[in-house]
Amino acid sequence: MIDRFSLSVAMRHLLYYKGQTLLTMGVVAVSVTLIIFLGSLIGGLQKRLISSVTGAIPHVVIRQPERQPIAVWEVASGQEELYLGERIKLQQQKRKIEDWRLWVERVPSFSENIRAVSPVVESQAFVTRNEKRKAVSVVGMIPERHNGVVDIQSKLVRGRFFGLNGGEAVIGFKLADEFGLSLGDKIRLLSPEGAVGNYTVAGIFDTGFSAVDSGTVYIPLQDAQSLFAVGSAVTTIGIKLTRIFEAEELAQKIALQVPYETNSWMKDNQQLLSGLRAQSQSSNLILVFTTIAAGFGIASIMITSVVTRLREIGILKAIGATNRQILQIFAIEGTLLAFLGAVAGAVQGVALSLFLYSLRTTVSETGRTQEVFPFALTPELVIRAIVIAVVVGLIASLYPAWRAARVNAIEVIRGV
Amino acid sequence: MAEVVCELQHVDKVYEGAVPTPALLDINLQVQRGEFLVVLGASGSGKTTLLNVMGLLDTPTSGKVFLAGSNAAELSEEERAALRSRYMGFVFQFHYLLPEFSVLENTLLPCQIAGGQMVEENRERVAELLRRVGLGDRLSYRPSQLSGGQQQRVAVVRALANNPELVLADEPTGNLDSKNGFAVFELMRFMNRQTGTAFVVVTHDERLAQEADRVVVLEDGRIVKDYVQRPALTHEL
Repeated sequence: MIDRFSLSVAMRHLLYYKGQTLLTMGVVAVSVTLIIFLGSLIGGLQKRLISSVTGAIPHVVIRQPERQPIAVWEVASGQEELYLGERIKLQQQKRKIEDWRLWVERVPSFSENIRAVSPVVESQAFVTRNEKRKAVSVVGMIPERHNGVVDIQSKLVRGRFFGLNGGEAVIGFKLADEFGLSLGDKIRLLSPEGAVGNYTVAGIFDTGFSAVDSGTVYIPLQDAQSLFAVGSAVTTIGIKLTRIFEAEELAQKIALQVPYETNSWMKDNQQLLSGLRAQSQSSNLILVFTTIAAGFGIASIMITSVVTRLREIGILKAIGATNRQILQIFAIEGTLLAFLGAVAGAVQGVALSLFLYSLRTTVSETGRTQEVFPFALTPELVIRAIVIAVVVGLIASLYPAWRAARVNAIEVIRGV
Repeated sequence: MAEVVCELQHVDKVYEGAVPTPALLDINLQVQRGEFLVVLGASGSGKTTLLNVMGLLDTPTSGKVFLAGSNAAELSEEERAALRSRYMGFVFQFHYLLPEFSVLENTLLPCQIAGGQMVEENRERVAELLRRVGLGDRLSYRPSQLSGGQQQRVAVVRALANNPELVLADEPTGNLDSKNGFAVFELMRFMNRQTGTAFVVVTHDERLAQEADRVVVLEDGRIVKDYVQRPALTHEL
């Protein structure tokens, strides 16, 4: 329990020696500002990096396992099924999911983490216009569903995406520039099998993902099914998650429940992930040292305070203050200083982060802007910084407080 | 027979060191309720040690100290602190008032240490004491706004805040000029008569001894003289 006498002496002391109080608060405030600033900046950078990798792709993909051709003599005895075929044909064979409607309906119930599910027919094709041709990725999808995987609708520069009709295509602005296309222009898609489809450009987008903006053509699902001759099947089902770092775990869970294979973005980006982990660790290290420095700051100021108040402590003990009361005076002071400093630092850190976050810069010819500094400022980060500071403040004041409690009243009163 | 507020029985105090230094030798002393006792002695005679032992700030090497009827050796650190805050008051050579508290708050510190309710119980009485020593219009002043004599008067009132049985004063006039010193001494004498609190005042100023009920003279840690000049006024008077 907090002693009222200790609290009143501590409070009075903090108010009376304003300079010292503000100085100590400043030490804590700077550290907390730094913790919040660095924490949110590094968090933001990571978020931006991850979103640049996963923004335009599903976090988990369901697809038909690839059938690897093997030589007849490699077939283990007792294996029942045997596919024979020419290698060349097999490469062209589509890996299809026929019962996709069933899974599109069921998959969302596997986890509340699933945010969007989109059946897709995806294949390479050529865009041709006049004499020009270019290999692109053609994605046949249902716009309203697929927008949950990659946001095209809000990134449209012109035209529309939702409510796409048969015979219409939506393309990136870079592709449009390259071919000199604008809304209403015709493009021709040529499938690897030689099928041809003609499409009208109905929308032009700028997602910021270079590969998508320059090399992806979105067409309605049914158009893609007929262009790539997959009947009523799709090639993949894409899944977007809320908590993207659970992708691998979820992919494995889904694999157990569907008769297909699954893959997660995490598996394909191992290096990026270990890079991010190293970055997190080094930023944590910076934060730990910042916190320790703040702790030493509080401790040294408190020790000075104990030394300059020796006689005061002695007289309080002589007139009956217990060791516990003296200990509490300094522990309260240290904790209060840390708390007040932390709150001031939090305000500064949040203000600084928000200000820098508000600075925007144009990042593409279409006029799309982006933050100069990506900040991921969360209440958890701010609260954590304050709690850490208060705990460090308490710990840092314990040694000075213990020193104060041990003061020998006679010695200090006699000035020995 | 009058009530005993403090009693020392065969108290020795030896300061350990390369050469052990005896500070007190076989001290036997009883302080009666309401008594005003002056301890005289040259510096190094053991006066302050005697006071510290009586105030439970220091422990004797041998012998017994009784306060409020209890044997101090049998008390815990917490109990000693409680006894200091409720039963005794202290005045030191330097006032050691806390600069961040007002005059009234400083005098109420012993009550605050003893517990919040003591403050309310004693606030009026303490303010009255301050008025009586001529500081009635200075209650909300800071100690730094007072003169040395005024500060020491505040310290005397602080020693009386909890209505103690015994006030121990160590050279209370040592840091004041003779006029102010005498005024502070007179104040203590006055308070002694008013409240019936026993005072033990350590000094090397023999002039002050003339005002005391009883004088104890220390030399090299021994009591060499202990005489009553006039009977102590008991509070019934």
